[in-house]
Amino acid sequence: MLTVEALTVEIAGVQVLRGVGFTLAPGATLALVGRNGAGKTTTLRALMGLVPVADGRLTLDGRPLGAVAPHDRPGLGIGYAPEDRRLFSAFTVEENIRLPAEVVRLAEHEIKARLDAVYEVLPELGALAGRPAGSVSGGQGKMVALGRALMIGTRLVLLDEPFQGLAPALAQRYAEALSRLRRVRPDIALLVTESNPALLANLTEDGLLIERGEVAPRRLKDIMEDA
Amino acid sequence: MTWQLAFLATLDGLAYAALVFMVAVGLTLIFGVLRILNVAHGSFYAIGAYLAASLGIAIAAGGLSPWLTFPALILAAVLVGTILGTLIERALLRYVYLKEDVLQLLVTFAVFMILEDVQRLVWGVNPYFEAVPLRLLGNISLGGIFYTNYQILVLPAVALLILVGLRLFLRTTLAGKLITAVTEDREMATAIGVDTGRVYLITFVIGATLAALGGALASPTTSLVPGMGADMIVLSFAVVATAGLGQVEGAALAALLIGLGRSFAVYLMPELEVLVPYLVMALVLLVRPEGLFGVAQRRRI
Repeated sequence: MLTVEALTVEIAGVQVLRGVGFTLAPGATLALVGRNGAGKTTTLRALMGLVPVADGRLTLDGRPLGAVAPHDRPGLGIGYAPEDRRLFSAFTVEENIRLPAEVVRLAEHEIKARLDAVYEVLPELGALAGRPAGSVSGGQGKMVALGRALMIGTRLVLLDEPFQGLAPALAQRYAEALSRLRRVRPDIALLVTESNPALLANLTEDGLLIERGEVAPRRLKDIMEDA
Repeated sequence: MTWQLAFLATLDGLAYAALVFMVAVGLTLIFGVLRILNVAHGSFYAIGAYLAASLGIAIAAGGLSPWLTFPALILAAVLVGTILGTLIERALLRYVYLKEDVLQLLVTFAVFMILEDVQRLVWGVNPYFEAVPLRLLGNISLGGIFYTNYQILVLPAVALLILVGLRLFLRTTLAGKLITAVTEDREMATAIGVDTGRVYLITFVIGATLAALGGALASPTTSLVPGMGADMIVLSFAVVATAGLGQVEGAALAALLIGLGRSFAVYLMPELEVLVPYLVMALVLLVRPEGLFGVAQRRRI
């Protein structure tokens, strides 16, 4: 479904990604594992069109993503939860989650249905719904960012270091939410970045090791043993 | 200073603050979304005023009902905001969004200079005075002071309506929510599907219309002369800086502070009149460098 071929990204003249390539089938879960600065975030940002692509091809269902404006990509069913959450503090938690669906002008009944699905995966967001997004803790904010990504990500969901900075109890609940997501929506493709592969071991076996902007497919188990 | 003079100064200050607020809130809205300090904003004010006066004169010449001058004020603002605003945003500003601040300032400054001359070409340099709306509404006597209904009722009412309306618009409509989202985080807004280019255009047109409305509503109360746009833009900068960039409610309070400060100075120490807005600004910024309501900017590296 998602195909990345020879993706090269330069930031200020420095090659941050060098010929990155991988594919993601519907329903697959892929862990993009690497150290800080290896290029994990840039890979996701390139998929969202937030950094210029120097070379390479990105396609979703055979459609070249390069021809799709960045703001039209969520409409293809791509949800993105950045590492630093980036919630809109002027809105409540529920308004933040709803916003991507409102932006693409989904009908109200469809928004309701998707919202219910989000709360099914992340039941603890129900209690936070009316809170200003600026007032929730960092860990809760990660959950909200996941909910917001799920609202529009019906085909592909990109999670950037979801466990980064989470207290152990919250990390546990976040992992449970991801397993619930896998059960409820087995058709969504998930691309998750992480510097600690052990955190994703329960979610998938497929890993992609990224080092200095170059990737190599590895089993998650092997990455953990090497580390 | 007698209480009567103080009361008069308060009324003057309120009427003036209402006009300044309309211009300043447009400026601050545009800055919040586009991150461009629009020097040409004063031109929207001036051209809005001139066009409103011209429409008023045309209405009188055509023998139409003088009450039509009221919708003409709004028409003038909408025409200037949509036509001139769209033209400037599409033809110039959208090419400099990612460029350095200095270049953006120079571009809007150039637009301002050009529009100043356009204004002289179209309306000449002789003062215009067209006060039909002011006269139509008559005067009111407040504790022995006569004051025009237009300045004491219409101007503050419109300013209040804009404040509340803008708040509701930004909070409850989809277009308003998108503007709010882009103001806070342009890139994340893109990542959830917001077409920032369109939001920029809509915001610029709204801001330009508000400035033109300030000018149109000011036109019955003053002589229109070349340079009025420059005066207003400098004053609006003071208001916006005092309030904190991008702050809607803050702009209202700062406009009130500066409007009242200025009108009291007129009665107490006239020689300080032009200085007072900047004194207020300097005092506020000494205590709160980010402005009354501003939040310290996070630096993204």
